[in-house]
Amino acid sequence: MKTMIEFTLNGKKVQTDAAPDTPLVWVIRDEFGLKGTKFGCGVAMCGVCTVHIDGNAIRSCSYPVSLAKGKDVNTIESLNNEHPLQSAWVEEQVPQCGYCQSGQIMQAATLLDKNPTPSDEDIVNHMNGNYCRCMAYTRIKKAIKRAATSSVQYFDPNATSEGENA
Amino acid sequence: MSIKDISREKKDTVNLSRRSFMVGSVKSSLLMAFGASLIPSVLSAKEALETKTFSPNVWFEMDTDGRVTVNIARAEMGQHVGTAIARILADELECDWNKVSIVHVDTDPKWGYMVTGGSWSIFQSYKPMSQAGAAGRQTLINAGAELLGVPPSACEANAGFVVSGSKKVSYGDIVANGNIDKTYTADELGAMPIKPGNKRHLIGLGNEYKALDIPPKTNGTAVYGIDVEVDNMLYARPILPPTRYGSKVTGVDDSEAKGLSGYKGYKVLTDPTGTIEGWVAVLATDYPTAIKAVDKVKVSYNTGKNANASEADIQREGERICRDRNEGTLFVDEGNIRDAQQQAANSIESLYTTATASHFQLEPLNAIAEFKDGKWHIHTGNQWQSLTLPAAAKAAEVPDSDVVIHQYYLGGGFGRRLFGDWVIPTLLTAKAVGQPVKMLFMRPDDTMFDQPRSASTSLFNAYFDGAGKFMGMEHALAAGWPTLAMAPGFMPDGIDGKGKVDPFSASGSDHWYTMEHHRARVVNNKVAQDTFTPGWLRSVGQGWIVWGLESFIDEIAHKTKQNPVDFRLAMLDGKGKQAGKAPESVGGAKRLANTLEILKKKTANVNLGENEGIGYSVTAGQERTMPAWLATAAHVHVDKNTGKITLKKLWVVADAGIIIHPDGAMAQMEGALLWGTSLALFEHNEIKDGYVAKKNLTTYQPLRMADVPDMNIEFIESDEFPVGLGEPGVIGVAPAVGNAVYQAVGVRMRHLPMLANDVKKALTA
Repeated sequence: MKTMIEFTLNGKKVQTDAAPDTPLVWVIRDEFGLKGTKFGCGVAMCGVCTVHIDGNAIRSCSYPVSLAKGKDVNTIESLNNEHPLQSAWVEEQVPQCGYCQSGQIMQAATLLDKNPTPSDEDIVNHMNGNYCRCMAYTRIKKAIKRAATSSVQYFDPNATSEGENA
Repeated sequence: MSIKDISREKKDTVNLSRRSFMVGSVKSSLLMAFGASLIPSVLSAKEALETKTFSPNVWFEMDTDGRVTVNIARAEMGQHVGTAIARILADELECDWNKVSIVHVDTDPKWGYMVTGGSWSIFQSYKPMSQAGAAGRQTLINAGAELLGVPPSACEANAGFVVSGSKKVSYGDIVANGNIDKTYTADELGAMPIKPGNKRHLIGLGNEYKALDIPPKTNGTAVYGIDVEVDNMLYARPILPPTRYGSKVTGVDDSEAKGLSGYKGYKVLTDPTGTIEGWVAVLATDYPTAIKAVDKVKVSYNTGKNANASEADIQREGERICRDRNEGTLFVDEGNIRDAQQQAANSIESLYTTATASHFQLEPLNAIAEFKDGKWHIHTGNQWQSLTLPAAAKAAEVPDSDVVIHQYYLGGGFGRRLFGDWVIPTLLTAKAVGQPVKMLFMRPDDTMFDQPRSASTSLFNAYFDGAGKFMGMEHALAAGWPTLAMAPGFMPDGIDGKGKVDPFSASGSDHWYTMEHHRARVVNNKVAQDTFTPGWLRSVGQGWIVWGLESFIDEIAHKTKQNPVDFRLAMLDGKGKQAGKAPESVGGAKRLANTLEILKKKTANVNLGENEGIGYSVTAGQERTMPAWLATAAHVHVDKNTGKITLKKLWVVADAGIIIHPDGAMAQMEGALLWGTSLALFEHNEIKDGYVAKKNLTTYQPLRMADVPDMNIEFIESDEFPVGLGEPGVIGVAPAVGNAVYQAVGVRMRHLPMLANDVKKALTA
């Protein structure tokens, strides 16, 4: 008998019969088909698999799906291309290969949630665990600052678009 | 073949220098294509394009709204290559940039030779794309003039319109109404004038525009190889043998795995190409089960002979073959180094080494292989399809024409995705199980199957006359050779005829300094070669060769009591073979000297604190036939207690000809400088027991955000022929840092990376 694990994924209730120890990343990607979340190192050291769980940035490659039970899981797709970080990423031309960028944006989003005006040091402390092999680090930093100083400081997915970066 | 030959092969196909060019209306579109080499003259452009009988490669098409789609045969791995190529075209075509889009194409012989590497893309695309754009514009002007009822000479093209005084017609309307049928012969196309750099309005410094591939890379919609699925596929994870080469599977026990729901058994792989030996693939209906199953399947082996190989073995062999003048073959031989040795009153010798380094591209290796409608379809991101495809065909035991590689975004290339060796176990597994297979490497699998940058050894001797004047230099350099391992057909003979040369493990020793006597002897390190597959890693041989060279140049300058910058400038006189040639290296060493002069001025008034120094280097890109002229300076601080080097700032002055995509070039330079920093100070993956010792990012620790130095990057305004910029920025950082450390605290570091412990040891020696 398989037990079903239920959680909320990008605002929708979902159920999976994956083994309880299955890393959440595979459930998101292969069972629910949301490929924006990437897989990189499998040991929570690179951050390309970062998603939000109850508002915290979590490495989904090292997070058993059973722990997600009853929780709110949000992926890059949940931002709907409306998050100020996403437009800042385009304005600053951040991505090169782009593979880490979903994770970078999800990681950065939790920084701005808690600290709308981060200093350079705040940014480095918050982002240092997210690896970018193209080493687009200076642009990541710039884009976070741009998003932080834009008219939209808090992301509200239900709000109507406003501001230059919305 | 040499690097030049690879380029030439490309020129004959992708670069199309001997092909006709056709522009024709087909089904309410305007197609523009390079003809196959033997288009019979009986077919008009329109007929040929309509029937596609001769498989013309449609490079771009325009619809009745004036929208232009450009087909791109180059891999996108972060360099925004499609944008830059489309921009070159649009500049000449005079179409509306807001209506341009790009498509990355799958393998098909019609595209010609497909490789994305060597920083070649812009260099090789610039002229043919410019001429194709100019031919398209001319054709549209002629057709537009007819619609306007004026002579073509009274018209000009501007942002998607043909304009004659107050009258104008849009490109879209010309496509809708025109009946265009025009062929340019190869000679006509070749004679098509292209705008000089200073008449360009879409490319060059000051033209800021955004890359077309970036928006999908900010919202999760960009599709990488790992994101692809096909119907009815199984997931596979490989079990790697105890050695890269020579191991054989003697038994497999999967009794423990059988209890896993979703486990679908295993396959012992037999590879007709010999690329993999002793591999087992574990199959499952989902990937997490495949991950688990690998831990439960027990494989026994006859282990290959290099099971105990170590980094020290490789370095020992490297030093031995550098010191033995009978080993290897000559790559450079100017003047007479033997005479210089005999006449010398003095000499200095230094041995420079670098550790094995890994790619760690963030998307782990993966592919899908599916046999469908009589062909093998491979889904993967790949840089060198024309090398990978024949190997895949050989593994499948089918003709090349029965394999198609479908291209996706690459989650990092950096040279690891040139030869797509991971396609082979994927295809063999799919063939064995008779079902489509998606093989994905877990990170340790990926790292063990990496093609790392080989450990390297460089021995330098410099000779001085009785007055202390520098006479010349002997340079011996050894490493595992990627081209020998993966594309041996591309190796030219050494100049003494004693053997073959891997140009990617030699270029850089043929520097742009004028030296009366200069010999460079290249040697393959067989211990490295037999232990792993040496790889092309961003900036390839230049990354380790020029580290030694530019550090040793500083040593020579200090020995002769000269300022290292002035010593370099004096040797960059642009005389003889260093004069350069048109179009790619016009100005030669003088342009390199110019970058260094500018850099010298820029850094003249930097305040240096205690235990701080500035070091310099000059580098000239990936090869003499495509030099990117760069002067690099590094400002470091050395902690004398711990030995820790802090790189505070990097400056680069770069002359790369006309800069096609200024912001893209800047991004490449920023990334390349940080790669150079990471390889100089952080990255090393020593061989231990036959494999790289560090299998994941828990122990392999490249530069992260906290380690980023300030960077000051300047591109010189130039109308010269554009050269590649993806790799060159890497090269100069390590020697500039090493030279700065010497200036700061007086110790000469001769091994990469320069780790705190080694600096500390040197300080207390």
